[in-house]
Formats: sequence, C-alpha cells, structure tokens
Amino acid sequence: MIRRIKLAGLIAALLVILLPSFTLAQDVNFSVSPAEVHIDNLPPGEAAEFELTIHNKEKLAHNFTIATFQPPEEDRREGRAEFPDDSWISFPSQEIEVASNSEANVTVTVAIPREQQWAGGDWEIWLGVAAESSDLLAVKLYVRLLVSTTGTKFNAGLVAGIIVGIVLLGCGGYYYFRRKTRPE
Amino acid sequence: MKAVITSIVVAIILVVIFSLPALAQDSDAITITMTGVNDISISLDKTQWPLGEVAADTEYMTSPQIEWCTLTVEGNCNVNTFILGEDAEWIDNPSAYKWTLSNDGTNGENVYGLQFRISGDTTRGYVPVTKTEGEFWPYGGGSSLAPGDTKQFGLKLLTPTYFVGGRQMQTQITISAVAA
Repeated sequence: MIRRIKLAGLIAALLVILLPSFTLAQDVNFSVSPAEVHIDNLPPGEAAEFELTIHNKEKLAHNFTIATFQPPEEDRREGRAEFPDDSWISFPSQEIEVASNSEANVTVTVAIPREQQWAGGDWEIWLGVAAESSDLLAVKLYVRLLVSTTGTKFNAGLVAGIIVGIVLLGCGGYYYFRRKTRPE
Repeated sequence: MKAVITSIVVAIILVVIFSLPALAQDSDAITITMTGVNDISISLDKTQWPLGEVAADTEYMTSPQIEWCTLTVEGNCNVNTFILGEDAEWIDNPSAYKWTLSNDGTNGENVYGLQFRISGDTTRGYVPVTKTEGEFWPYGGGSSLAPGDTKQFGLKLLTPTYFVGGRQMQTQITISAVAA
C-alpha cells in the first residue's frame, strides 16, 4: 500500500509545466541595417565609428540588446581571421529602447590598440541585435563587421633585404669606381 | 676612399628608392563602407509552444509536426540562418533548478533533448538543437535564403528521464540570421 502511494506520488511529481509566460512581449518584427560593414586602413592606435539602425516594425515599443559574437571560421568571409578582442568594440549601451514603428541609431566604435602587432590585420566579428522576449522562439540578427588595419608588422625579411641590397650595391659600386679610376 | 663613400651613398639611395613603395603602405586613409542599403530581417509566425504539464521521459512534437512555424526572409539581402538552444530554467528561481539541454537530442536525469525538422529536408530529418549555434538553413554548403523565401519547421521535445515535478520551466530557442 505504501509502495503504491509512493509510486502515485512520484508520478504526480513528474508532472511539470513547460510553458512560456504569456504576459510579456510576443514575437517582434524588426530589421537592422546595414547588414555588413567594412572598415579598411584603420591604423593601430586609432578608432572608427559607424551607425547601426534598428527598425522596430511593431505597434509597441521594445527593448533590443546588442552584443558581439565571434563566428566560427567556416562562417567568416574568406581570408578573415577571428577579431582579436571583443573589448575593442563598444556601444553607448548594450540595451536600447525603440519606439513603435520607429528607428533608432546605435553608434558603434572600433578602437584598435597602439601596439604594432595589430598592424596588417584582416578580421571579422558579428554584432548581434535581439529583441528582449520571454517567448520560446526568439530572433537575432547579425551584422558582419570586417576590419582591416594598415601598416606592416616588423618585417624582418624587408629589413634584411635592405641591408643585403646596400652591401651588394656598395661592393659593386666600389669595384666599379676602383676599376674606372685604375690607370690603363 | 672617395670611391668607397660614393659607392655606399649610391647604394643607400638606390635601396631606399626601391623599398619606398613597401614602406609607404601605412599612409592610406581610413575608409568605412556600409554594404549598400542592405537591411537584414527575418520573421517567425509562431513564437510560443504552450505544452502544459508534461510527463517524464516522453516525446512531444509540435502540430503540425514539421510545418508548425514559418520563417520568412523579410529584408533585402540573402541570409544564412542558425539555431541555438539553452538550458530550461525554473521560472520561480532560475539559479536553483534547471534542465540541461543535451547536445544530441537525447535525455537523462534533469537533461532534456530538443530537435527541429525543416519541411522538405529529407537529408537531415530531425536535427538536435544544442547550446552551440548550429546551421538551420542552408546546411552543408547549400544555397542561402533570398528575400521572400520561407522555411517551415517543427520541434520535438524529449523530457528528462527524471525531474522535480510541479515546477514551471522556461527555455528559449534563438533563430539568427546573417548576410550570406
């Protein structure tokens, strides 16, 4: 009898409710532009700014969150490496409220540290924009951000080439002038 | 002596002249290019799946099974889409109790499985939704979705073999898109 009661209790305990809250926001229809941003020739030690536009197409105001995302290699553009550090990208706030049927602009700043090791980089990172929702299904839109830095890292080959060039040309020039000035 | 000095000076001048293009690469202006007026957007015609009370170790499918929700590409650029799941948390105290999302659609004690299936996708069938962003459409190098394209899909939930009853659990599946 006790076993049966325990079993019945266990079955009852195995019942659970899995449903989303119905009191909060429903699906949000929104768009983000531009879908892709290229920043080229950005020197280490400098920063560049651009604006993202979030368009809330709903009749209610909604909160949107913005965050960076490191895409896996197979999803990056050809020849692009992983962006070295997410903290180089900043927004005024990671959350923004957009009124109904309105657009809002978010200023994104990309600042590359001064160290020369960041010269000559070709990187990609994504900026994810999502509407805050407690529904089971949610949508996130990514903006591709492709950043290329100028300058060359310390190029040992180039420096060695310059030194070898000076030596060879110097020797060649020396022998040329010596032969030219030698009496016949 | 005069020949030596002249030779060195000429050599330095020649080498500097030829290496200038390589050294001058640092002087370009910064350019920021926004790709056209591309606007990225997708929409889902359903975002909730109210299951009510569920039993342990049981499979639940959306109805209709694989045409339950329609994803539509709304923007003006082609997109690749992805899907991401997460652990289900107890609404009353998320940090105190959760069901862990398995990475292969199977279940266990306090571990649940979640899978999706796209209508017309006979190659993959049901695909596990995991905590790592996975391909939704396209997959395996197929064609991306163009503006106006739609994809219908359904979900399958496998509840844990054991869980603490009487607790309202909540989870979220994120479908994301990026310009193809």
